[in-house]
Amino acid sequence: MRKILVLLMLTMVAPVMAQEGKLPPPNAEAAKYPLVTRSSVLERAVNDVIRPAFQNFKDKTDAMTVAMDGLCVAPSSPNLDDAKLAFADVVDAYSRVEFFTIGPLGRDNRAERIFFWPDRKGIGLRQVQQVLAQEDETATTPDGLTSKSVAVQGLGALEFVLYGTGNDTLTSTDGDFRCRFGLAISKSLANIGSELVVDWMASDGIATHLMEPREDYADYRTKIEALEELVGFMSHGMEAIRDTRLLPFIGREGAPKPRLAPFWRSGLTMAAVQANIEGLQTLFEKSQIADAVGPTDMGLRASVEFEFANAFRAVDLVSLPVDQAVTRSKQMSALNYLVIVTQSLQTVFGEQLSAALSLSVGFSALDGD
Amino acid sequence: MWQRRAFLRAAGVGFVASLLPAQTEALDRADLVLAAAVQTSAGKYGAALVSERGEVVSKLTLPDRGHDIVFSPSGARGVVFARQPGTFAVVFDPAGSVAPVTLTSPEGRHFYGHGVFSPDGRLLYATESDFEAAKGVIGIYDATDDYRRIGEMPTYGTGPHELLLMGDGQTLVIANGGIETHPDYGRAELNLDTMDPSVVFVDRTSGELIGQVRLATGLHQLSIRHMAIDGRQRVWFGCQYKGEMADRPQLIGYATRDGEIKLVELPGDLLADMRNYIGSVAVSADGEMIGVSSPVGNLVVAISAETGRPSVIETVRNGCGLAPQGAGFIASSGDGALRGFAGATQADQAFEFGFDNHLAVLA
Repeated sequence: MRKILVLLMLTMVAPVMAQEGKLPPPNAEAAKYPLVTRSSVLERAVNDVIRPAFQNFKDKTDAMTVAMDGLCVAPSSPNLDDAKLAFADVVDAYSRVEFFTIGPLGRDNRAERIFFWPDRKGIGLRQVQQVLAQEDETATTPDGLTSKSVAVQGLGALEFVLYGTGNDTLTSTDGDFRCRFGLAISKSLANIGSELVVDWMASDGIATHLMEPREDYADYRTKIEALEELVGFMSHGMEAIRDTRLLPFIGREGAPKPRLAPFWRSGLTMAAVQANIEGLQTLFEKSQIADAVGPTDMGLRASVEFEFANAFRAVDLVSLPVDQAVTRSKQMSALNYLVIVTQSLQTVFGEQLSAALSLSVGFSALDGD
Repeated sequence: MWQRRAFLRAAGVGFVASLLPAQTEALDRADLVLAAAVQTSAGKYGAALVSERGEVVSKLTLPDRGHDIVFSPSGARGVVFARQPGTFAVVFDPAGSVAPVTLTSPEGRHFYGHGVFSPDGRLLYATESDFEAAKGVIGIYDATDDYRRIGEMPTYGTGPHELLLMGDGQTLVIANGGIETHPDYGRAELNLDTMDPSVVFVDRTSGELIGQVRLATGLHQLSIRHMAIDGRQRVWFGCQYKGEMADRPQLIGYATRDGEIKLVELPGDLLADMRNYIGSVAVSADGEMIGVSSPVGNLVVAISAETGRPSVIETVRNGCGLAPQGAGFIASSGDGALRGFAGATQADQAFEFGFDNHLAVLA
């Protein structure tokens, strides 16, 4: 009886699985190329890329809090170094999720609270200096910070605490207030990290909507709409790297302005750019989105991989801190080349991949006006 | 500065507008001439005049992506504006007998892609950004003096987009989208948390603010972008929502010089199809119908100005540009299609280039 039941269940389940292309391929040759469907792309993007990346961000912010706590309890040079290393990890982790702006990250000004950028008018620096000068106690708890400007709540403020003028006080009790301010920022970041993970893990949240779109969902009604979002991450992400990370400090025309580079104080500018690009590359590769196209567009994957390789080679060439890199012709050339590569990838994603997937996003609608 | 130099280099490519005999014939034969910024191939941009019969009357090469086209009241000149944050505008002769003139916005300003002529055709007004101050301005250009920029006035907001002239010939109405951008950061939106969109009425002679209306608190991320004026001088507007995709705010409304502002209640399923994005707004020739488009949702809709209810909903893939024809509208698409709907007589036409967001009629 049990055997019969199992057989019965298998026959019932098999057709459903076949629709989604999850059945084992019938022969060994095909086994090397498991069938990629729109559903599998969406499922992998969420479960293999986006969710783990937010979990990683949460983990790194937790570690940051531990490191800052250690520094505040026992101020010392080694503990300051540990805090700086933890900060670099948080910047790396955030750079891998920051373009997933929909849903949880877009809510409650979370993206701005984590990293207020671009900060064209230097609001962040002024306000952080003010908090430090006045030793504003309300800035030493996460709750107190929440009621303040987003510019003093996130990575820009924490970077100034750890690397800005006066950071040497952190190695002694002279830096008590500064350290507690940094600890509050770390806790605030960790709180946001937890919220992001909870929201992305929710069983009826954005993850489900992206993976299994339904007509009655307000955000994603069809797999096409969900795929458009994924392609939008990659296309708009490349645009943001170029327009908000690279060009402001390279200088579009005229002299470079290295102080317009994000994370120039900590020397993490290019590490962040590299993590930005790796984050988008991971989404592209692990989702297998390039395998969901028709036979005539199978060459797209190679084009994209080629451009990613070019991008990483250019990033590697920029070995000096950005204020020095912009004075060296070879490194400046690499930066300018990176601008071209990100433009190229933006076009490949936004126009070619979009067309190959039969997405409805055309050039008129792609980036609005 | 950076864009001016980039543009001057690109402008060396030159513009070609003079008509060949066959094109002159096409122009003579056409009952209706439409104009739009176009994308000829990936990364290549221009503007085109086409007839309702599907003929290309003339084409203009542009150094970068254009946006809207406006014609002088006599139809003797057209102006295509660069898409924001571009710094060029090209004034051309639709008949091709006069060489095009290229304008550049002054230092510290860029265009937003829209403009309007004064009723006598002597002045051209353009929405621009004073980007260091993050304030909108209206640039004033003298058409009788080689389009020399003779002044500017405020839009009383940030991120102005479309501007129109009211029926009195004196009042300019401007949609302040509320979004701050800066050329240093491309098209990145810098103030999504503090946006403040509005519709403003400004006296075009004095520059004085006549009226300013805003949507209810809580709708500050509803960017008011495109407009059309109906037969009763109500200013219909279409919005683009910058908040969460899961939100479903109303997207179409109207404002009046008297200070009224109202969003019309569109059904939920239509709103869902519009995907929080309206690309253009037009009014029918009789002033009774409002046409709106959503290129993201691939649809165009005709709404009764009387009742505020949608009467025709049509699928047009990448459809965005709208121009009045008869009782209805012609829609243009990013895929190169023209299609009439809601009572227009336009037959479907297809072109080799993609139409950008707006479609203008040469009177």
